[in-house]
Amino acid sequence: MDKTDCRILDALQNDFPLSTRPYEILADKLHIPCDELWDRIQKMMAEGVIRRIGASLDSHKLGYCSTLAAVSVPQDLVEKAAKVIGGFSEVTHSYLRKDDFNIWFTIIAVDTGRIEDILEQIRSALSLESSQVLNLPMKHLFKLNARFKASS
Amino acid sequence: MLRMTKCCIMKERISDIERNILAALQKGLPKSQSPYKDMAQKIGIDTEQLLKVLEDWKGRGKLRRIGAIVNHFKIGLSGAAMVVWQVETERIKQVGELMAGFDEVSHAYERQRSEVWPFSLYTIVHGKTVENVQQVVEQMSQKSGISSYRVLVTEKELKKVPPTYIADE
Repeated sequence: MDKTDCRILDALQNDFPLSTRPYEILADKLHIPCDELWDRIQKMMAEGVIRRIGASLDSHKLGYCSTLAAVSVPQDLVEKAAKVIGGFSEVTHSYLRKDDFNIWFTIIAVDTGRIEDILEQIRSALSLESSQVLNLPMKHLFKLNARFKASS
Repeated sequence: MLRMTKCCIMKERISDIERNILAALQKGLPKSQSPYKDMAQKIGIDTEQLLKVLEDWKGRGKLRRIGAIVNHFKIGLSGAAMVVWQVETERIKQVGELMAGFDEVSHAYERQRSEVWPFSLYTIVHGKTVENVQQVVEQMSQKSGISSYRVLVTEKELKKVPPTYIADE
């Protein structure tokens, strides 16, 4: 990744133009030819630097419920647990972390009933006690900014 | 259903067009130089109509932004941790805002406490290395005066997908 790639990444993480020709607007802003911009973006997508260009939506404002959940599972159950948890389409992120509660995941679902339902299914599939499952719904959002500066 | 909470009561009925837009949008923009035109065509509406709905969602906060989702591991930010803080309710607003002020913090949330898990403030902290993250966490602790916290280093990403709002029909 060179300097131009970094500039593109920084610009692309901010508002992508809502316009019929968004890449032309971006190319003008970055003072590079549109074809070059397009090729560089495709390359960064192929390399996995850019996961996708997409919308970040406010799930609550769209009427959905969400939570952060965690389970505490013994080491030999981690693989199975990751599979069981990741198998739900409502689970959007899942991470292995260093703690007694070692798998942490986020759920976005139609209502809290469905969230409880999913957690109960996970608990029973892994034969866990209730105290080995955490359900930690959000009370207040102070910050959400998953944009990462590429150019320093 | 009694256990439904506020996020669900607020649920607005979305129109068929909005539903179709959401279904098309949730997987990301099409790989095309005219992504909105292609998306509109797929839904069966005018590009202008699609852009109008998106502008409207933006204005109402339903749409935070459209943009690139970057894999931070691939741009040199290999260290990441979720840091959970035990903060008294009276101080949560002040401490939450203070933590949110750190550039290295991408997420800062207050969450419900649990009987077995006394932490209420959740931050995701990024850095070039885990050591960098630890240094920032120490600064966060010093500045806030919160000494009861845990650093849960990310060992592995098991799943990361965009939310599915509308299931495939």
